[in-house]
Amino acid sequence: MSELAASETADRKGGLVERYVTSVTDRVGGGSLVSKVLHKVFPNHFSFLWGEVALYSFLVIVITGIYLTFFFEGSQERTVYEGSYRPLQGVEVSAAFDSVMRISFDVKGGLLIRQMHHWAALIFIGALAIHMARVFFTGAFRRPRELNWVVGVTLLVLGLAAGLTGYSLPDDLLSGTGLRIIYSVILAIPLVGERLVYLIFGGEWPGTDIIGRLYPVHILIIPVLIGALIALHLGLVWRQKHTQFRGPGRTEHNVVGERVWPSFAMKSTGLFFLVAGVSTTLGTLFHVNSVWLYGPYDAGAATSFSQPDWYIGFLEGSLRLFPPWETRVGGYMINNLVYSGVLIPGVIFGGLVVVPWIERRLTGDQAEHHLLDRPRDAPGRTATGAAAIFFVTVLFLGGAQDVIAGTFNMPIASVTTILQVLAIVGPPIAWFLTWHVCRALRRRPGPERTERAGAVTRDVDGGYHGFAAEQPAEPAATGAGD
Amino acid sequence: MTDEPRSRRPINRRAYRAAVAAFTIAFAGGIVAAIGYWTDETGDLLGLGLAAALIGIGFGLVAWAKYLDLDEHVVQEREPLTVSPDERQQLRDEIAASKETVGRRPLLIGLLGGAFLSMVIGFVGPIGSLGPKPRGQRGRTSWRAGTRLVTSDGTPIEVERTTFDQLVTVWPEGRVAVDDSQVVLLRVPPETLTARTVDGGAVEGWVAYSKICTHAGCSVGLFGVDNRQPDTLRQLVCPCHQSVFDPVDGARPVGGPATRSLPQLRLAVDGQGFLVAAGDFDRVVGPVAWNEA
Repeated sequence: MSELAASETADRKGGLVERYVTSVTDRVGGGSLVSKVLHKVFPNHFSFLWGEVALYSFLVIVITGIYLTFFFEGSQERTVYEGSYRPLQGVEVSAAFDSVMRISFDVKGGLLIRQMHHWAALIFIGALAIHMARVFFTGAFRRPRELNWVVGVTLLVLGLAAGLTGYSLPDDLLSGTGLRIIYSVILAIPLVGERLVYLIFGGEWPGTDIIGRLYPVHILIIPVLIGALIALHLGLVWRQKHTQFRGPGRTEHNVVGERVWPSFAMKSTGLFFLVAGVSTTLGTLFHVNSVWLYGPYDAGAATSFSQPDWYIGFLEGSLRLFPPWETRVGGYMINNLVYSGVLIPGVIFGGLVVVPWIERRLTGDQAEHHLLDRPRDAPGRTATGAAAIFFVTVLFLGGAQDVIAGTFNMPIASVTTILQVLAIVGPPIAWFLTWHVCRALRRRPGPERTERAGAVTRDVDGGYHGFAAEQPAEPAATGAGD
Repeated sequence: MTDEPRSRRPINRRAYRAAVAAFTIAFAGGIVAAIGYWTDETGDLLGLGLAAALIGIGFGLVAWAKYLDLDEHVVQEREPLTVSPDERQQLRDEIAASKETVGRRPLLIGLLGGAFLSMVIGFVGPIGSLGPKPRGQRGRTSWRAGTRLVTSDGTPIEVERTTFDQLVTVWPEGRVAVDDSQVVLLRVPPETLTARTVDGGAVEGWVAYSKICTHAGCSVGLFGVDNRQPDTLRQLVCPCHQSVFDPVDGARPVGGPATRSLPQLRLAVDGQGFLVAAGDFDRVVGPVAWNEA
């Protein structure tokens, strides 16, 4: 009783913030948790920013996406366009296309929200990719963070799926073409392809179901999965604590950085607004996916220089660059698309998933790692990453081989051949070059020279102040294996 | 553990002024956006106002953090993540105890597993309703013997028309825009056609092929003629993945990733001098499943 009374007095005594916080913590028993959360330490490095950018662009996507669902109609029902965009007035379109046109021209501010949604999606995948590269090249995926690496790869795949489904929803000419290609790839899968593609599309191409089915996948299933995995991802980061680069006072057993409140929270919240602001700026100034220029999906039509969103470029390139090979066995056939549309993406994403276990097998390193490598510290890993990035970049360029040919006034066939050769010989060359550069860089002085050692300042009274003076530097640990 | 008492550090006036400016711009941006919504039809003012508000708030917060000069170096110990021997022993005991209690009845475990499996199988039926079973229908399109070839606006094609080297997309009469029946029609000088193309159903230089690319199903919409001597080169190109087909030689693939030629539509002429189909395609059009090779 006396405790309760004391708490009630405190209620009346404290300020507004204190009273609100304690009114909750008193009821859930979370008193010690608040300061624990506020004092959690996060290491500081510019390269740790990209995961946050991805998180915040996802938030922008969700918020703008909810707005769009209030107007979008996920249906292929035929209707006649009668909106305010003159060139398409009177054209027969699907309800989906009609509603996207309405959002773009007849809902005030709708185009801006739609553009923000699309731009934030482009940023989301870009930030994911850079974040993933950072984690890879610094060895942050090693024990105990293998699970979080797999969560991250899954998030990337889900992000691509979200982009692909969203891109297909407006039922414009480009998205129809993209869906047609996806249909063909699934159809080509041995044994189950035809049955599977009918289950997904509700029958033979084009059918009348696919937009209505993609819609709940795009706005419910994938976002919920992404949200859940982000929660798991952040939960694991919180529990296992963030990695940090080597430096004075930093060991495998501690975290050195800034506390959540106020420094980290303030900067991170600022970052959210910056990401949202950049999406808004880009959405205002540069229109992407202008479906009114493509027109509605129309059987028998296709446009040249048709490009998917940038992050699908490497898949498109795989389809374009893979040579005209297929394997026939008796009356059956492993289709060209099985190689270029299933096998190559499968190897890329499968390879990403097993990265932690492959490295462990190669180095025999079973230990926990909380200190990050600089890329040069593990030349073998860095070289492998560089080779993989080179390969995917060639595929990406392959996805725009007609644009490249047009720009440089070369025959498309020559560009294709050059890229095919590059895709084979390029990665090994990239591997060796990177490996040698890493070895050369490693001979230079160690982390004490390249990491900021902490400023030492002298004040007017002649006293010296500095982090380094108080915390003697740890002897630099040697880098992990090649 | 911060470096030194806050009070002894010089105040970062620049960051303070930057935060003030940023928040002020953000404030103005919101107002501009509100005005823009009502006055500006293009929506640009709305977008730029909102962008200024968002970026202003974001930049202001970062500047404020800088002003507070919170470049902290706080050290926090990591708690060990690995399981201690005691905990491991406890887990071992739990598992052993469970084996004693739950694991004693293998029949129940087996039955539960079997029942679960059969329940899952029971749910396969509704999933199957998502799409029809393949019924070998993919080999058929809307083309029949005697069906006229018409353009997208329904005009039939006179065999006497002398528009050479111009690509026309045609459909079965009455079935315009039925996806699997799209056809590219082309008239070339008859002597340029190879024997097998003529055998495949060319009529007086007219050749017709399925318009669906055999690679990934896009519409083969591009036709190019290179008139440089000695040989005129004609190519059908798919704009998606740049597969190239030779229209004078049975639309055989000559470049890009396609492996199969475009199925040829056998042509004939009806009593009024219009082009008609002599039958359906002799194989599946477009990309194929693994057993349709």
